[in-house]
Amino acid sequence: MPQNPDRRQGLGRKLGRIGLAVVLPILLLAVWEFLAVRLHNPWLLPRVGAVFDRLIHPLDNVLETGSLVYNIAVSGVRVLMGFTLATVVAVPLGLLMGRIRFVRRVVGPFVEMFRPLCPIAWLPFTMAVFKTYTVVNLFGVRYSDTVFDTIQVGMLFILFYGAFFPILLNTVDGVLGVRDVYVESALTLGAKPGQVFRKVVLPAALPSIFTGLKVGLGVAWMVIVAAEMLPGSDSGIGYLIIYAYELAEMDVLITGMILIGLVGALLSWGIGLLGRPFTGWQALER
Amino acid sequence: MGHRVARAAVHRLAGLGAVTGEVRVTNDKRKGSKGPRVPGFQGELRVPNAGIRIENLSKVFQGRDGGSVIALDGIDLAIEPGSFTCLVGPTGCGKTTLLRIVAGLLASSSGIVMVGEEPVAGPRQDTGMVFQQYSLFPWRNVLDNVAFGLEMRGTGKRERHARAKELLGMVGLARFARSRPYELSGGMQQRVAIARSLATDPDLLLMDEPFGALDERTRHRLQDELLSVWERTGKTVLFVTHNIDEAVYLGQRVVAMADRPSRIADDFPVDIRRPRDRVAPEFVEALLRVRTVLEEVMKESSKQIETTKGG
Repeated sequence: MPQNPDRRQGLGRKLGRIGLAVVLPILLLAVWEFLAVRLHNPWLLPRVGAVFDRLIHPLDNVLETGSLVYNIAVSGVRVLMGFTLATVVAVPLGLLMGRIRFVRRVVGPFVEMFRPLCPIAWLPFTMAVFKTYTVVNLFGVRYSDTVFDTIQVGMLFILFYGAFFPILLNTVDGVLGVRDVYVESALTLGAKPGQVFRKVVLPAALPSIFTGLKVGLGVAWMVIVAAEMLPGSDSGIGYLIIYAYELAEMDVLITGMILIGLVGALLSWGIGLLGRPFTGWQALER
Repeated sequence: MGHRVARAAVHRLAGLGAVTGEVRVTNDKRKGSKGPRVPGFQGELRVPNAGIRIENLSKVFQGRDGGSVIALDGIDLAIEPGSFTCLVGPTGCGKTTLLRIVAGLLASSSGIVMVGEEPVAGPRQDTGMVFQQYSLFPWRNVLDNVAFGLEMRGTGKRERHARAKELLGMVGLARFARSRPYELSGGMQQRVAIARSLATDPDLLLMDEPFGALDERTRHRLQDELLSVWERTGKTVLFVTHNIDEAVYLGQRVVAMADRPSRIADDFPVDIRRPRDRVAPEFVEALLRVRTVLEEVMKESSKQIETTKGG
């Protein structure tokens, strides 16, 4: 099959694209540095070099909370736990809702009622209900000396809540969007209902499900700062930027924000890569 | 029961296994242009197949607003095993509905529909279908598309791939086995769809305007390919189209359907020797016969609409 000639023009074009992509970041850095020098107030706006210095020493202890890497890892574990819980509940539920009208009619309106309520609006409620219980407390253990001691039930709830809706709605959409002719083809080829589901509906819906996972993970990662605002938090990248604010350590604050952005982009890219084998056909079909 | 077992055995012998042998024959034939068919070729490969019997079939669709639409009203139709029948008619005359009921994808409102000796109660193992829209699974490559039906039956990977390759060879697409459907042209996709519907060796092949979306040249080529597949496999074919030329070119028999009320307006055999010449007098004559019938039907139905509006 002939390839699109535009795509083959190789290195020059690619470098040109990267060049265009970095124009605005460089401009931002320049303005930032200019303002930092003019203001001459590191408590308001630190120099670019100060933040850069933090970024290239990711293993140094930051404000006695542990290293940047440690804080990111803690946040990562929390987000992945919340996200995994959301996936485990939302994907099967979405598949059921997509396939069975009765379930859709019962669960759909109920879900729609909660959707406009943003995860952060749940913070006060979460504090009141879950207090500072950690996941190990759920198992009757007071302290396990693992990373799980830092994972509060309230946090998980908020992360779960943030990731849940995009995954659920995209799964339902994916199932409802399966073209009838695929299902009918499978039926005339002798597929039984279970086979139609596994061999046609599921693969046809997977691109949409992965879109949901991507958005869901993105939302969970965005919500991490709010989740780590819960009392009792003492680590995590979200906690770090709040703590840095309290100590007026602007360079740490900005470093944390940059890392949240970078890791978020990385997670989105990673899940895209994970889904590529199941979703590639859709991108190519157009 | 014993009868059916015997029939199945004949299938094994005369069905797919024989098909591969024939591929070479046709390839040779193609090189030497359209030579005469091998004498006795047809008779030897013909196998007893499922016919269709439709009696007093009606289908009423319930609208959301509480109203109802009569899509089919008391249709009678019998189709010979191993025959090639074209069902032609204007859009909305119910021909696709009829086909979907025979396929078991749609329940009838009343009447009898039999395929072989059994009433249709759902999609059947012995019935294959080719759709107008592109229906190949885009997440599977061409080979796995063709092998789908066998996979559903639990046929092992090696065996189903071997069979799928044979069938792809039959439609001239063996070298595209690893391609994805969207990499193929529309005509190639429909050839794969035909191969896919043949993989489970159904007795009856239902075709719902399979070439409707193709340009004329491709359509003519695929018509010839379909005929050669039919001649080699001896399936019963019920072919729905709104293209009169296609119906007369393909069918041993043409059934013209009318709408409002939906009924069979004409039904006649086309005894023109193949390969058929589209400009031969007898072909044009058959063409005109169908056209005249359908035009009369349309005049009637538009008159009817006017009188209903007036009254």
